[in-house]
Order: sequence, then structure tokens, then C-alpha cells
Amino acid sequence: MRALEYSFREATASLWRGRGSSAFAIVAISLAILVFGGVLLVTSNVERLLAEWSSAAEFSVYLRDDATSEQRGALEALIDESGVAIGREYVSKAQALGRFRRDFAELASLASSFQSNPFPASVEVRVRPDATVRAESLVARLAAAPGVADVRYDREWLSRMTSALEAVRGMGFALAVVMMVAAALTVATVVRLTLYARRDEIEIMQLVGSPYAFIRGPFVAEGLLQGGLGALLALGVLWLGFRAAIGWWGGPFGDIVPEASLRFLPVHLCAWLVAGGTVVGCLGGLAAARSS
Amino acid sequence: MIETQNLSKLYNRGLYALRDLSLSVQKGEFVFLTGPSGAGKSTFLRLLLLQERPSEGEIIVNGFHLDKLTRREIQEYRRGIGFVFQDFKLIQTRTVLENISFVPEVLGVPASQQRRRAFQVLKWVGLQHRINAFPRDLSGGEQQRIAIARALVNEPALVLADEPTGNLDPDLSLEIMNLFREINAGGTTVVVATHDRELIRLVGRRTITLDQGRVVEVA
Repeated sequence: MRALEYSFREATASLWRGRGSSAFAIVAISLAILVFGGVLLVTSNVERLLAEWSSAAEFSVYLRDDATSEQRGALEALIDESGVAIGREYVSKAQALGRFRRDFAELASLASSFQSNPFPASVEVRVRPDATVRAESLVARLAAAPGVADVRYDREWLSRMTSALEAVRGMGFALAVVMMVAAALTVATVVRLTLYARRDEIEIMQLVGSPYAFIRGPFVAEGLLQGGLGALLALGVLWLGFRAAIGWWGGPFGDIVPEASLRFLPVHLCAWLVAGGTVVGCLGGLAAARSS
Repeated sequence: MIETQNLSKLYNRGLYALRDLSLSVQKGEFVFLTGPSGAGKSTFLRLLLLQERPSEGEIIVNGFHLDKLTRREIQEYRRGIGFVFQDFKLIQTRTVLENISFVPEVLGVPASQQRRRAFQVLKWVGLQHRINAFPRDLSGGEQQRIAIARALVNEPALVLADEPTGNLDPDLSLEIMNLFREINAGGTTVVVATHDRELIRLVGRRTITLDQGRVVEVA
């Protein structure tokens, strides 16, 4: 306990004495955590949005113009018995044309030029969030059923987005790991400078038979403090950046992703980032202290 | 207190700093180690402090077989030894009191005792009025007295001094030697390495003379 108290007291004093070089190490750790935290922040928000969009998935079964009411009834029975749907709605040809006129008012002249209604009738099916995979086999069966012109189940873009997200996350994490290693080396170098400046003190400590906890402890504590401060600084900058982005958010982005859907990193992830920063700093300090 | 058998220290270039050294220092004795530069005085003290390991032979100090000590045992062994160097080795960023109380502090002595012990030894070397001064504010003689106080704060059984008067004028040198005599009078074994023959003559204690790593005279 005395060694711990001594280590942190000496480390705090050393950080202040060498504040220039310490700031350098703190910024290095901070940049690494900033990249890591930034990747986490972006991917966690995109991931959540993708999950929301996935849960809101639906598909449309377009009917041939000559489809009979019996064929439509058979399709609806197939959908209901599959257990995949949480709801379905029949959209007639007239309703489909009405929707087009409402949603694309600027193309009203085009709609009035139609000699006959070109929009097919359809059955729109809302898929249960836990049945998105099973829905694919239902879609295949529906596509082959009589009276069906086409089935649209656009999940491909979601899986592409998910793959892209994984790639971004992988690259971001790789970059963060490289930066973490660089930050640990920076801490080790800065601590080594401190160690060099205090070599007489260390020699005396060794000669009087001081335990290693007292000799190495201050350097490990110094690395730990640099790591912790760097991580806190990174989180602060990340939070400010997030608030600025929220303030700027709007326009076409706001229509696609409402501002309320964007969230900062959860508390447990912030705690992990601070812990990660202290561990990196601690490892840097330990590496330097081992040479004492 | 100190017993060496066929002690040798060979450096990489094939040079012997010490060769076949067998000597003993009794508990409570005051011994001078002398000889010209390069005779092996400092190497012998470095071996006693375990700053270096012998190439051959055996050293037993205060019951510790130095060639068999683990890292933890080395710490324990060193706690029983005080050391004084020619260049004082004081920590420039700490005050006089802190330079001394720092030793019990890093040995885990309770805070209440650290300052009391430090003040006691400072009083003993006559510098209790300089407790808040920094080493740069002190004369060479005062700095060496602080270094001696630091060596004594842990109440060692053995004090080793390597050219402790090398940077001091003759009057101050004698003053410092008198401190070592007083330390010895309290029962502590003292080994002082010096090439100052006049000082040895004035103090008048057993003297081991080394030359080229060998004992050439014991007087």
C-alpha cells in the first residue's frame, strides 16, 4: 500500500516536471483511442440502424393482371400459414396508381398520360423481425406460385451494408491497434526519459535495497496515468465531435436517419476505452521500468 | 564481517581488476583500503555492494554468501549496508531532509518514523539547520556530510566509502574522517577506500594496500 501511494505521488510529480514530454505521450494515446472510439461510435450507430431497418423488412408479391381471386387466396393462405408475416395488405391496381400520384405529385402529367393502369396489384407482407431468414424460402415459394408476376425482397443492400460495415470496422480496428502500439512505444520512450533523468535516484534506491515495487512502481504509475488521461481526453474530444455532428445533422441526412436515432457510446464501452488506455500506458511504463 | 577467498574480477579485455584476493575484516573494525589508481579499490567495493559479480572466488559479508543471493536476498543484504561516494550522489531535486528521509521511505518505514530518523542523523552530522536547503546550496563538505547521514539513516552494520574525501580540501577531509571514526566507535564496521596516504596516517587504522588487483601490504 505504501509502495502504491509512493508510486502515484512520484508519478504525479514526474508528470508535472516533464509535462512537455508527458503531453506528447498523452496526445499519442489520445489519438489512438480517438480512432478506436470513432470507429466504435460510427459502426455501433450504423449497426443499430441496420438492425432497425432489418426488423422493419417487408416484401411485395406482385400479381399478374390475369391472376384469379382463387390464386390470390392461395397466396395469402401460404403467407399466413408460414408464420413469417406479422401482417399483410392487398394493394389493388387502382390503389397502386393512387399511391404513385400521391408520392410523385411532380409526375402527375405522366400519370394522366397513361392509357391504361400499368401498376400491378400486389400483396405487401411485413416480416417478423426474427424470421428474416425464413422469409427468403417463403419468397422463393411465392415466386413460383401461379398468378405471381414477381416478388421483391430487397435484403441484398442490407447484407452489402453489413459486409461494408464489417470491413470498415476491421480496418478501423487494425489502424487503432497500430496506433495503440505506437502510443505504447511513445509512453515507453517518455517514461524512459524520466528514468534517465532519475538514474541517480534509482541507483540509490537499488543500493539501499529498496523493493522493486518502489523502484519500478512510479514508472508504471506514470504510464498508467498518461494512458488514463489520454483516454479521457479522447472521450472528451469524441463527445464534443458527436455533439457538433448532431448540431449539424439535418437536411437529407435527417430524413433518412432521424437525429434521435444517433447515440453516443454506451457507458460500458467508454469505461472499456479508459481501461484500454490505462492498460496501454501501463504496458509502456512497465516496458520502460524493466530496464531499470 | 567481510571474508573473501581467492576473489578475482576479470574484465572482457582480459584485464584483472582483482586477482586472487583473500582478506578479512572483523566486525566493528575500521579499515582503509588504499593503493594507486587502478589498484582495484573501487572494484572491491562494487563487488561488496553487488553492483558487479566476481569472476572467481567467494565473498561472505555479514553472513551473506554474495554469490548465492537471489534478487530479494540482495535487497535484504543491501539494507544492512551504508555507502558513501566521492561524488555524493545526492538527488538535486530533493531537499536535504528529503534526500535522507527518502531512504526509509523506499524501504517501507512508516511515515511518522521517516522524518524523525532523518532529523536524528542530520543532527548527528551537524546539519539540522539546513534541512530545507537543496544540495546545490551546500558546500562540498556539507554535501558529503549529508551523504554520510543518508548512509547512516538505516542503521547499517557496515559502511562502505569510496574516496569520500576525493573532492574535499585537507581540513574538510579530516572532519569527514572524524565522522567515520565516530560511526565506527558506535560499533559499525567501516571500510574506506582512499589514495590519501596522509589522511590514513592521521587517522591511523589498519590499512590494506592493493596494487594491480593484489594485496601487497597489510599494516
